[in-house]
Amino acid sequence: MLRILMRLLWALIAVAAAFAMATIARSRGEPVNSMWLVIAAVCTYLIGYRFYAGFLAARVMALDDQRATPAERLRDGHDYEPTNKWIVFGHHFAAIAGPGPLVGPTLAAQFGYLPGALWIIVGAVVAGAVQDFVVLFCSLRRDGKSLGQMAREEIGKTGGFAALITVLLIMVILLAVVALVIVNALKSSPWGTFTIVATMPIAIFMGLYLRYWRPGKVLECSAVGFVLIMASIFGGQAVSESATWAPWFTFSAIAIATGLVIYGFMASALPVWLLLAPRGYLSTFVKLGVVLLLGLGVLTVHPTLQLPPLTRFIDGTGPIFAGKIFPFCFITIACGAISGFHALISSGTTPKLLAKETNARAVGYGSMLLESFVALMALIAAASLQPGVFFAVNSPAGIVGSTADAAVAKITSWGFPVTAPEMQQLAADVGEKTLFYRTGGAPSLALGMAHIFSFVGGSRGLIAFWYHFAIMFEVLFILTVLDAGTRVGRFMLQDLFAMKKTSSTPGMLATSGLVVAAWGYFLFQGVRDPLGGINSLWPLFGIANQLLATIALCVATTILIKMHGAKYLWVTLIPLAWLVTVTFTAGWQKIFSPLPDLGFLAQADKLAADPQTSATATLIFNSRLDAAVCGVFLVLVTVILIDSIRVWSGILAGTRDARSTETPFIQSELA
Amino acid sequence: MKKFLELLRGIIDELTDQRAYKCHLAAHGAAHSAKEWRRFSDELYQAKSTRARCC
Repeated sequence: MLRILMRLLWALIAVAAAFAMATIARSRGEPVNSMWLVIAAVCTYLIGYRFYAGFLAARVMALDDQRATPAERLRDGHDYEPTNKWIVFGHHFAAIAGPGPLVGPTLAAQFGYLPGALWIIVGAVVAGAVQDFVVLFCSLRRDGKSLGQMAREEIGKTGGFAALITVLLIMVILLAVVALVIVNALKSSPWGTFTIVATMPIAIFMGLYLRYWRPGKVLECSAVGFVLIMASIFGGQAVSESATWAPWFTFSAIAIATGLVIYGFMASALPVWLLLAPRGYLSTFVKLGVVLLLGLGVLTVHPTLQLPPLTRFIDGTGPIFAGKIFPFCFITIACGAISGFHALISSGTTPKLLAKETNARAVGYGSMLLESFVALMALIAAASLQPGVFFAVNSPAGIVGSTADAAVAKITSWGFPVTAPEMQQLAADVGEKTLFYRTGGAPSLALGMAHIFSFVGGSRGLIAFWYHFAIMFEVLFILTVLDAGTRVGRFMLQDLFAMKKTSSTPGMLATSGLVVAAWGYFLFQGVRDPLGGINSLWPLFGIANQLLATIALCVATTILIKMHGAKYLWVTLIPLAWLVTVTFTAGWQKIFSPLPDLGFLAQADKLAADPQTSATATLIFNSRLDAAVCGVFLVLVTVILIDSIRVWSGILAGTRDARSTETPFIQSELA
Repeated sequence: MKKFLELLRGIIDELTDQRAYKCHLAAHGAAHSAKEWRRFSDELYQAKSTRARCC
């Protein structure tokens, strides 16, 4: 009886998913309620988790709770420790969820809400969650080895080296692009700048509080920090309204970029307990709170999607970034659908904490579904803005014109009506001087979130507070990625240069300086870019991230072939083939497209043909450098693929050793 | 309800590193003190700061 009821329940969920998808697909012209997207997503996730992840766990991986995990066998109370499934889930989710799933879908909304939503839902279920789950399983059966180590052992030395170089390059581009998002959110915004500047002394105060005054009282200290941060948002409002103080906190994009570079260097060089650790605690609580609030807000308000399902920009003429819907929608949204970076987490701390093999399903597959849901919430928040407002905020001056009148005329001519007084009123409502040219996704996402939060809060008068609360959350979140990333990059460089003493001052200063100089260079390039920087940097980051996913899927495919021959090859080969197609097409177009807005080389040629100014030579060099970086990515993909295909064909033909590198079975005492 | 509260407590302990600290105290056979917390936090943050975080 129960079995029949369960079958009926799953049939009902499947029908609900199909009905919600059909409602979205059939809407032509009339506004769609975001609830349909939520229903389609949740039902698809449930079906994916129950059936596809269940199939992967039972048939493909044959997860076995009788087999002791590395956490049990190598338990040391430090790195290896059997831990509650939901706690590992929380750790894993916190490590994989960065600003990417918030910013990417917001930028991709220029194609309309439909392509991004479908990619987020379907991509996560059949590709992203599969990658995270399979890589976690592979590492779990190999003592928690890293992706680089597995690539070396399964594919060869070339694959391992390529993985290391790719991670370093991604790190540099990632840090530059997220720093650029901060710059665009804070430029000429005394309110936002004051709030963020105030977080530095607050974090240092918390660091001292935890270290000397109340050691170990993390919750108490975080609560004090949170109250101070809230006070700083109100303080920011007072500063922005003060004729004396506002100029002190009004900075140009270049000034903010310089500040971020200095901050990045200091955060990498200062003791961790002073700034990074307290900021990390604060950011974790704010992140969890905002994600919950956004989820609750979308479910309560279920706003109508104002953006059309598809916009005219699917033809590649979009103002936010150039390029057609294929491949650029799939490059722009990485973390919400599939992200190579997750493979580093799945083969990092997580496999060393799992108490049972079957926990890998909830942790690996389940947390990616949750991340996908966060990305969908961000897309809904952005798509609930008026399209004219969305494009006015996200379009660079180089595309829409450098005056408000020129910008609204251009955006209105695209079929998205907006007026200068409307934009002026909106800016005044959220306590800003202007909202034009705030590229990067963060301000438009903050606007969407502020609209939703102010509905939930019951007072439209609080929209300015919620806008700056959302900006504070996004920037705080990104700063933790920036400072942690700089530090991780520093350790990777020290590792690459075989420096034994990572704490020696000259070595630490030199490697910190190198990492900061690398991402700082790309950041300044983005700030000076007449097309707004996001146009060139975000696709580069997307390509790099998907390249890492390619490496992860190559490793996973090799292991599946060793386990089952060609039987379950399709599990990882289908997402891999898709990613290779997307990465190659996007990379090729970014280098060789004859359109100057899209192709780096065409952009350099156009700049060379234009009248020369003092900045032209730098812009030409930057375009060629971006082309070279993109070329390196493509070469890396090719090398890894050729190497992998050679290994796979050898194993399948029986001419190559197919012995598993799995650790031998040991009976678990926890089962 | 009791289970839910326990889970919530567990999550807060995890987020605030209290669980890791308890393990540290147990592993070193030490009692809580300012010096011990500093030793623990130095080790923990050093390890945390070398781990990649996603975008």
